Order: sequence, then structure tokens, then C-alpha cells
Amino acid sequence: MSIGAAVAHGRLPGRVWMYSNYHCNLACTYCLTESAPAVARRELPPTAMIEIGRQARDLGFTDLGVTGGETFLMPAMPELLAELATILPVVALTNGTLFNHRLLARVEPLAGLPVALQISLDHPDPETNDEMRAPRNFRKVATAVPELVRRGVTVRIATTVESLDKTTLERLCTLHRGWGVPDCDHVIRPIVRRGRAATYGLGVRAGQPELPAELTITAEGAFWSPFAPTVRDGKPDTDLLITRTTRPLSVPAHALLRLIEARPPGEDSTLNIR
Amino acid sequence: MSVVERIGPDQVPLLARRYFAAGDPGPIVGALAQVPELLVVAVPLLGAALGPSAIDWRTKEIVIVRTSALAGCRYCVQAHTVVALDAGLSRQEVVALRAEGSAAEVFDSPREVALLGWIEEVAGGGPIDDASRVVMGRHWADHEIVELTMVIGVTLMLNRFATALALPTSPDTLDRLAAEGLL
Repeated sequence: MSIGAAVAHGRLPGRVWMYSNYHCNLACTYCLTESAPAVARRELPPTAMIEIGRQARDLGFTDLGVTGGETFLMPAMPELLAELATILPVVALTNGTLFNHRLLARVEPLAGLPVALQISLDHPDPETNDEMRAPRNFRKVATAVPELVRRGVTVRIATTVESLDKTTLERLCTLHRGWGVPDCDHVIRPIVRRGRAATYGLGVRAGQPELPAELTITAEGAFWSPFAPTVRDGKPDTDLLITRTTRPLSVPAHALLRLIEARPPGEDSTLNIR
Repeated sequence: MSVVERIGPDQVPLLARRYFAAGDPGPIVGALAQVPELLVVAVPLLGAALGPSAIDWRTKEIVIVRTSALAGCRYCVQAHTVVALDAGLSRQEVVALRAEGSAAEVFDSPREVALLGWIEEVAGGGPIDDASRVVMGRHWADHEIVELTMVIGVTLMLNRFATALALPTSPDTLDRLAAEGLL
């Protein structure tokens, strides 16, 4: 079966993820990649990301995802996202804390393009939110999101939690609705017990059966899922590595498809993490 | 000391898992697992070249031990000394193959003498003398010459791989070598 047919028939998810970098201005307690300011950057050069995007489209994938690390620590990220959006629709994950006036002006051209910025917000109470993430994180996100929406940039809110009671969820939704982000652009996902979350004993255990098989490219290889190329004690995990070869993208894509086809029927992902 | 870290049982990449299903697959597969897409094509090749085939086990071990000795591969010589003994080679023959004795005095079968000369030529790295080809052709069929030459080539590849990465000999092998007085 070709990659395009596998995507069209729902055997293979259509999105290819790329880790642009691993460093971050924050050091969240549940971070999968132990990201922080001084860690190894493990950057994918923009030229490589564009080439991967083009090969993904040519193979029959339908969407691109960019994650990190903090993606907007990469100097060319706004222009890179605009370029990627000419290839396939893109979602880029960001902590939303770097959007000063200059960066807001640079992302403004993304308005009207098939680009969504997925910004993390875990709790409607600033203190609780910032405890997991960083001081003043809530305030920065609460400032950035309406500014982005006002400029016409599509924003999604991602809430990563161990659990969320109904009242808290409703308060969180009231908040993002007020910023102009509809419910359909709010994703809630569990903390996955890998990376720093494993160090702190947080979240749910997730291996190959629990994670959707979304091809994920990093500077160190191709992985089973965006939750796979994690870092523990400074060392990259390899348990969900597919291939070290990332280009041509057909090499890891076909290896991933063979792995999917080798799974017994019914052994599908159970966490439905997006 | 090995230059690459062994992949732990909880870090085995997806494509490599079947090679670890029965336990530790040894240092060569363990190292190749760092690059799973190489592992999945290398193992079938290694298995076809070095495993059971039309060439009998004794002959194959003659090739592997002698080639490894000529290439100076500590890991392969130690590992295949044990295998060669299991394949029925005498202690004296193995010692000779390890270049610690005279092969000419130990091996008297014309086929094996021709083969030992062929190994010297092929593993030596220089041009191959036509006279050696003639001698080999006199004692071995074409398909056997092809396979034996491939076994020499694959062994040389592993010799350099194991030597470069300083792969460690297993404790079981070291114990057996010590017991045989071949350490």
C-alpha cells in the first residue's frame, strides 16, 4: 500500500511532525523532552524542514506539525511557517510567551494562511497554571492570545493535565472563548509519563500501543509519535525510534507503515492524544 | 572500552525489537540497533553468509577464524574459536587458524589447503594471484568459491566493525576460552 493510500484510507495519520529544536525558555515539570534554556538544541534547519514538508506532500501526507522545545526560539520561525503553509496546512506548538510587539508583527502575515498556533494553557488560575510552567506564564499567554486573534492568526489552546474537574474546565473554556478561541480549537490531553514527567512520576504511561502513529522527524531520527522522541536524564530515548534516516522521507514513512500493518487488528492507539 | 553505549532493554527501537525478543542478542546486533534500518538489512545478510548453508559448518568456521586472525580482530577470533570447537575443529587446528601455529602442518586436505591459501589472498587486500584462482578452481565448485569469498568479505566487514567499536567478548565465551586454555 502506498503512503498516500494509507493516509486516504485512515491507516496512517496524515500529519508529519517536525521537532524544530529542543531548547526552551521554560522548564515545565511535565515536559517530555526535558526542554530548558541550556539543553542541547537538536535543531532541524529550516531548509531541512521545508524539504521534509515537500516530501511529505509528495508522498500523500496531508498536514504538517512543528513542535519543540519552544518553536519561536528559532529565529526564522514566522517566515518558515509561512513557507511551510504553501506546502501543506501547519500547526505549530508554542508556549506563547515570546510574542512581543516585534514578533507579533512578524507572525501577522500568517493570518489567512493555513497555519494554526497551538498555545499551551493548563489552568484558569494563574498561580496553578504557572506552578507547572513558569512565573508569569499565564499573564503572557493571556496577553498574546487575544493579540494574535485580533491580527487574524488562528490560535488553538492546548491544555495538558492529569485531571480537570468540570468547573475548572468550564472556567478555562470561558477564558479562551473570551479571547476569541472557539471550543473546536481547544484540545485537552493527558500528561504522558516520559521525559521530565517520568522523573516526577507524573501522567499516564504511554508506549507504542497507546500513542497514535504520527510520523515525527527530529535531528536524531524518525519516531513513532510526537510523544516518542523524549529525553530522560539528558539522553534521547530510542524505544520508539523508527529509523535514523529522515530523508528521503519515504524511508521512515514506509517503515512506519510496515510497523502499523504488522500490528494485530484492534491494537490501535488508546490515548487518542493530539 | 566500547565507543558506543549498548542499548538497554527498555530502549530497543521498534524495528529492532524482534531481535531482542529472546534476550540479549549480543554486541553486534546490540550495536547495529542504534541504526534500526541498517540492522534489519544487515542481519539477514550476516545470517545468510555466516549461518547454515550449502557450505558445511567446519569449512565456514575455518574461513571465519582464519580471516579474523589475519584481520587482527580480537572479538571475532575469541567468539569463533568457541564456535569452531563446537563445529568439530580440533584444538590444534583452531590454534593454527588463530595464527598461533603452522596451518601447513595441521591441515592436509587439499581442499582445505587450497582454501587457506585463498583466504590469505582475499583477506590480504592486494591483487589476487591467478595461480590461486586456478588452485581454488581445482578443488571447489564455482558456487562454493563465490560463497566462500563472500564469507571472507562479510567476516572482514565484521572484523573492522567489532575492532573499531571495541565490542566486548561475552563472559561465557571468555570462561570457555579460559577452560580450553585458549584465552
